[in-house]
Amino acid sequence: MGIIAVSLAYGFIFVPKIRSTIILAVAAVAITGGLWIGANLLFDQATKRWAAFNAARFGLTAFAITGIISGNRLTNDGGNGEFFSDLVNWIWLPLVIGGIIAAVGFFLSGLTERTPRIALGTLGFGTAGAIIGALLQESVRPETDIVVTLIWTAAFAALGAGISVLRQHPPLGGAMNGGAIGWLIGSFGAVDLGTGSVGWAVVASVLPAAVIGARIGMTAPATAADRNEVDRRARPIIFIGPAVLFLTTMLVIPAIRTLYLSFFDRDSEDLVWFENYIETFTDTTSLDLSGFWDAFFNWPMRIGLILVVIFISVGKKMKDRTGKWVELGSPSLGPLVLGGMFLAFAFFTTSRGTIVNNLWWVLVVTLVSTSLGLAVAVLADGAKFEKAAKSLIFMPMAISLVGASVIWRFMYVARDSSKEQTGVLNALWVGLGRLSTGRGVAATLLIFILGLTALAMVLTAITKKQWARALAIVVLAPFALWGAAWAWAQLGGNAQRIIVGFFVSLCFAALLTAVVKAVQRKEYGAAAVPTIASLLLGWFLVRYWGIIGGGVGGFETNPAGNVVGSPINFIQESPYNNIFLMVVLIWIQTGFAMVILSAAIQAVPDDVLEAARVDGATTSQVFWRVTLPQIAPTIGVVVTTIIVLVMKVFDVVKVMTNSNFGTQVLANDMFNQAFNAANTGRGAALAMLIFISVMPVMVLNIRRMQRED
Amino acid sequence: MSEIKLAEDTAAESTLHNGGVISRFMDGFRAIPRVVLWFIVVVWATPTVGLLISGLRTRDDQRSSGWWTGLNPTEWTFENYDTVFGASASGSLGDSLLNSFAITIPATIIPIAVAAFAAYGFAWIDFRGRKGLFIATVSLLAIPLQVALIPLLQLFVGGAHLTLPIIDKTITILPDLDLVNTTTAVWIAHCGFALPFAIFLLHNYISGLPKDLFEAARIDGADHFTIFWRLVLPLSVPVLAAFAIFQFLWTWNDFLIANTFAGTNPDARPTTILIANLAGDFGRNEHLLPAAGFVQAFFPLVVFFALQRFFVRGLLAGSVKG
Repeated sequence: MGIIAVSLAYGFIFVPKIRSTIILAVAAVAITGGLWIGANLLFDQATKRWAAFNAARFGLTAFAITGIISGNRLTNDGGNGEFFSDLVNWIWLPLVIGGIIAAVGFFLSGLTERTPRIALGTLGFGTAGAIIGALLQESVRPETDIVVTLIWTAAFAALGAGISVLRQHPPLGGAMNGGAIGWLIGSFGAVDLGTGSVGWAVVASVLPAAVIGARIGMTAPATAADRNEVDRRARPIIFIGPAVLFLTTMLVIPAIRTLYLSFFDRDSEDLVWFENYIETFTDTTSLDLSGFWDAFFNWPMRIGLILVVIFISVGKKMKDRTGKWVELGSPSLGPLVLGGMFLAFAFFTTSRGTIVNNLWWVLVVTLVSTSLGLAVAVLADGAKFEKAAKSLIFMPMAISLVGASVIWRFMYVARDSSKEQTGVLNALWVGLGRLSTGRGVAATLLIFILGLTALAMVLTAITKKQWARALAIVVLAPFALWGAAWAWAQLGGNAQRIIVGFFVSLCFAALLTAVVKAVQRKEYGAAAVPTIASLLLGWFLVRYWGIIGGGVGGFETNPAGNVVGSPINFIQESPYNNIFLMVVLIWIQTGFAMVILSAAIQAVPDDVLEAARVDGATTSQVFWRVTLPQIAPTIGVVVTTIIVLVMKVFDVVKVMTNSNFGTQVLANDMFNQAFNAANTGRGAALAMLIFISVMPVMVLNIRRMQRED
Repeated sequence: MSEIKLAEDTAAESTLHNGGVISRFMDGFRAIPRVVLWFIVVVWATPTVGLLISGLRTRDDQRSSGWWTGLNPTEWTFENYDTVFGASASGSLGDSLLNSFAITIPATIIPIAVAAFAAYGFAWIDFRGRKGLFIATVSLLAIPLQVALIPLLQLFVGGAHLTLPIIDKTITILPDLDLVNTTTAVWIAHCGFALPFAIFLLHNYISGLPKDLFEAARIDGADHFTIFWRLVLPLSVPVLAAFAIFQFLWTWNDFLIANTFAGTNPDARPTTILIANLAGDFGRNEHLLPAAGFVQAFFPLVVFFALQRFFVRGLLAGSVKG
């Protein structure tokens, strides 16, 4: 805290920008606080000093109204540009009128007889009206047209009376209010301004003012109960008013206005109804479904259909066994989810466009962030250095999206194949290519067999509890292998390749073991992940050792017959560059999901878990069937929050590709259209589309809150 | 957790108690989740480390080899930081840091005040329509900023004028205060956008304060104002701190609002816009990006690590049921 204070003091004294900022901030807080405290103190007086309170509220209201009138240059000439004289020019009339009305309020609270009250009201307000009328600028003086004025007066008087009757009050009061308003509209609004006389201006102002004054005088004097009521009613408004005012001005009204603007053309002049929206859906850069029918024949569709068939057969068996096709933790869930994902993927790979990109973003980022967050929350639960691990994963949340995009741009750098790669990912990719294109099949198979032998020896040793022997083999085997490889390298082999390959093969063997064990114990759910992992790893190894294909990784054979590195241009190769952009957001949001889900998992009551274990559930069953359903609401909150965030994402695309290479998203398009291309209608339409897409989330939130009571 | 053996272990021991290869080997697999965890942690931390180290290398070094080859401290230099703090065509980092502070300080302090009043009002003052208004206010949380940007920009550029329909006259509600392209416009916008979340967060906490406290104060003759000032505010310091941190991070890292309201004025640009401009500079100044990026991320990271507890509390409020 001391450091902050010192640096603020330093900044205040020496740096003009900080000084003005601090002054501005302090002023803003002081004014807000002051106004609020003032309002509170004012209404505190309502019960104790009614006269003063009445004076204050009358006076302040009159001041405000006159302030607007004066500010709109209706009673003065606008000043000469110099600050203080302009201020005086503007403020003197509101002060005077405010004073008069305040006096009326003050004395009114002292009178209890009806006649004096009406007289005071009429006189006081009438005077105020006369003054304003006399000071009206020439350009604003209304033309004298009694007929029009009277028509409007009569109409609004009737309206006012009607409203009064509906509210079960006597009609006279409402008629008076209505009549005054009608007169004002009729005499100032419905006629030309600028051609009238001073006399008529005065008359036109005095009459409605006097009528309103009489009306106020007609009200009954305030009893103690009334005063308490005023105080009680005012409190919520004082507390909540500023916030509601802020929100309405900055969110609600702009939102309505955007909706309004979206129906107009680019300069907001001609009404074009839904054309902006239709344009968005028919423009191929926004939505390109031309490849739709191809989706039925591509490879994701085929895999997806196979998985669906698997799901149906497994699900049928589950239904016979447990009565449900699919539920959390049953083996039919995997094929269903995976099959669905592949089918969706099939359609996505053949569609293009901004809207499709946004759909991609929402699905991928939400799914991956939440799953990874959940996985980390589960893995880190109770681990050593749990806090450090969680901190490091959570840390990207503190980095701006712009900063994160810059960081990942450097990770994705792709340089010409003749130069060294400076980006981490391409370095790994090209390095892998170099590794896997070492020597031919025969030698590698030999090394593979040697590796497996070592593995078997290790396992046997472990079985016989010959720990020392096992350890010795594990430690020495790499050396032995390396020695063999070195020997081979003298003949042109590739030592690094063999070592890396050995360890990967070890992992593969381990995974296979896990699969076998799980299947032995009929735990198909637990077998799922190792199976997928071993399939992937197996495919990788097959290509790595060169059994099928020349190798794996970033390499190609140039015309001269040499093997050179071939980097991936992550950011530019459409359409998968979108995924690499999404990685940035996933990198940041996983920490968020992890923190919340971790808290939720720890909030699951221990007795429920113990009860499940006592009943004989395995760890994975405990997770899928007990923990997961309990944290389902929290997962819902995480998912909805991330969806709202993803639809808004603008920074990532702007910094990484600036919407080129087929990476355009709705938020960027809206910004471009509205501010760069100055097409207000189209930009507003896009903003509304973003809003519509998050509306389900809003509705869900509202429903959730309504239920909470 | 260690007292009650997992059913799985018991079963394994009984059926494979012949000391089978597989069961012993599986003991080793207990370590796999930890390995996966640390693998993920390494993957997560690497990009930032890369940025830090790249910022300390010379331009030629950065262009010719990856940062992992430049881990030798004797090769490091601060020249990138020097260049980026000095003035240049796209604005100096120092100025933009000041702008960032100029935006975040008011944008953090003001919403706290306004939201605190409102949260107390929603929580402890009973009035007709309270629940409906509260739900309406908090539902605004989901509104995307884009929806309000265009009209707000028009408001700052030209002021608010209302054209009364029937009589066809225009009155000025808010004159043109010439705020566009200043940092003031940016933080005013931030205050407005932050309010729904602020009210939600503070309300969650304030409504959870013990009711007897207020009843006792009420009996002693205190009214809402006194209760708020003397009881609620001091008690709410933790959640106010949590929101302050959250808001600081959000405004410091924001790009969209800053770009909309102050993007075209070089004197009012915060650090995020500076970095975005550097990044878009066709690679001319790419070697400066890591240094600039690190400076931009430095302050939020400091705040984050020092006050992580509060930040997490802010996130969790209302997200975890029970």
